[in-house]
Amino acid sequence: MTSAQWQRVRELFEAAVDAEPSDLRQWLRAESDDAEVRAEVESLLRHHSRAGSFLNAPVPESVPELLDEEDALAPGTVIGQYNVVRELGRGAMGRVYLATDSRLGRQVALKALAPHLTGETSHRERLKREARAAASLAHSGICTVYALEEIDGHLFIVSELIDGHTLREEITRDRLPRAEAILSTARELAEALASAHAKGITHRDFKPENVMRDRAGRLKVLDFGLARGSAALTPLSSSPAGALATLPGLLVGTPAYMSPEQLNGQPADARADVFALGIVLYEYACGVHPFEASTPLGLAARVLESHARPVAESCRHIPPNVAAIVDRCLKKLPAERFASAGEIVQALASAELAPAQPAHFQTMWRVHQLVSMALYVIASTIAWEIKEQFKSPLSLWTFVAIGIAATITGVSRGHLLFTWRMNRSRLTHEWQRVRPAVVVIDLLIAVGLAVDGISFAAIRPLWGMLTIAFAVGLGLSTTLLEPATTAAAFDERLER
Amino acid sequence: MTQNRDKGAPDVAELTPVVYRELRQIAAAYLRRERPGQTLQATALVHEAYLRLAVAGSPWRDERHFVGIAARSMRQILVDRARARGAQKRWAELDRVTLSASLAAATDPESMLPAVDEALTRLEQIDPEQAKIVELRYFVGLGIEEAAAALEMSPATLKRRWAMARAWLFRELSSGR
Repeated sequence: MTSAQWQRVRELFEAAVDAEPSDLRQWLRAESDDAEVRAEVESLLRHHSRAGSFLNAPVPESVPELLDEEDALAPGTVIGQYNVVRELGRGAMGRVYLATDSRLGRQVALKALAPHLTGETSHRERLKREARAAASLAHSGICTVYALEEIDGHLFIVSELIDGHTLREEITRDRLPRAEAILSTARELAEALASAHAKGITHRDFKPENVMRDRAGRLKVLDFGLARGSAALTPLSSSPAGALATLPGLLVGTPAYMSPEQLNGQPADARADVFALGIVLYEYACGVHPFEASTPLGLAARVLESHARPVAESCRHIPPNVAAIVDRCLKKLPAERFASAGEIVQALASAELAPAQPAHFQTMWRVHQLVSMALYVIASTIAWEIKEQFKSPLSLWTFVAIGIAATITGVSRGHLLFTWRMNRSRLTHEWQRVRPAVVVIDLLIAVGLAVDGISFAAIRPLWGMLTIAFAVGLGLSTTLLEPATTAAAFDERLER
Repeated sequence: MTQNRDKGAPDVAELTPVVYRELRQIAAAYLRRERPGQTLQATALVHEAYLRLAVAGSPWRDERHFVGIAARSMRQILVDRARARGAQKRWAELDRVTLSASLAAATDPESMLPAVDEALTRLEQIDPEQAKIVELRYFVGLGIEEAAAALEMSPATLKRRWAMARAWLFRELSSGR
């Protein structure tokens, strides 16, 4: 069949599908005098009507296992001095096995780097360099690399075996962590990253899957620097532009934990790890990703374009100073973040002075606010009664002044209670803003009432004295009691 | 993009193996349930591969252009793997008498993959555009609209061409060749 004939077959097939002629043969004879074309159209239409659900379900959906990898090492396989016991899991870099080191008689984690990462010499060398750099890291929060082995052309990374679970498993649990757990997790992860950053080594693929908690409860960061080595995803040193690995555009890492600069294909440094740490801590504390979206592309768009909801709004139980640190880690501009994890460690060190205060101390603070508000009502009522007794301009103006002052300071305290309830991370800020005015106004009310009391004492000594006592009590409550309840409830952080 | 190409960024053909590997990796990550709450969808897979590979310096014009390249890789991945799992043997063992009925019922899509691949290669000689449509629809799972956008044609046209390609392939396979 010539290509002109095929064109005609296509036209006729499509026309027939649309028109659905009642007598196909007759319709075809009218349309074409080429018998070969007619026969082909007829045959295709016949098969069209019989094809049923042929090819209707896309392969990746009907047989998803076809997209799985092969090449696993069977238990019992001997690789150099290592005996494979069983597979522990799979990562982007390759499979990880539990193995026994027959020379040293200990159990190790054996990571077989996927062949496509190591196929090309220059990338292989680069990956080895990175792995060696990672092996130089010695920190209790980093999984120790024992050896880098090259056996039968395959690369293996032998490392400390960590018995435990990943941080991902903790995040997907239903229960959210307590404030103390958030603080200690933040501290351990920041310290681990900081020890690497201090040596100029960045992680590049920091995510909950790469953090494990061992049986003793200590966190260990895995796979340091390997993602950087895997810029070797690109076996193209023969290409005109030289190795594609040198192209700044190639993305490595997991999109959900990439910083805006990584997504934009710009060079990334320790501050990209800082960004990833911010996401991980956010997710750990709140159980949700700060840039949650239904597709990876949507998520990346949010990382690039929208700001994360402040972490304290997503979970109220996060310690305020950790919340401030997480929010700063998530800044779009690298320059606005911490320069390295070391700075986060320092920031967290000053968070140390904020051990969680017993909840009932905060209740006392709230009771103090409510009682103060009740005292303003009483003060206004007393001023009203005195004005009714004297009907003098002085008592009238005193009443008006006390009424206005009580309204202002009452609303201010109400505002603080509301902030405590709805937006606790702002409480320090709001307290510092409102506190001086509240003190001044409270003292004004006390003075006003004292003046009223003194004149009242002239006709009713007992009631006059009681009013003066009330005024003194109000003044002392603001100047002495309140700083004490606040300090007890918030460990003086509000007073700072 | 144009500037990058002038500087001699690697061309599409050279990058195809990279796309292939990337898709494999991401697919594997999905199957390991590393993407919480997401089931495997080839379309999402291709989007993610694009995201990871197609940034400054890459030779494809845009995501639609990339999807066309990725579709070829997806076909290769799926067919290679089906072959490795012995699909041809099962295909040969299928009952020739009821072959047409079992194809229409899509009872064993895996076993017919190598045969679909070979038939598709023949279709490519006759009508490359229809072959591309099959790659996008069947091997990536793009909808009518998305596939039409990737090939810059109207959805109505794409739907008609897809129908014909499907009929053609159905005839090739059910004739038992």
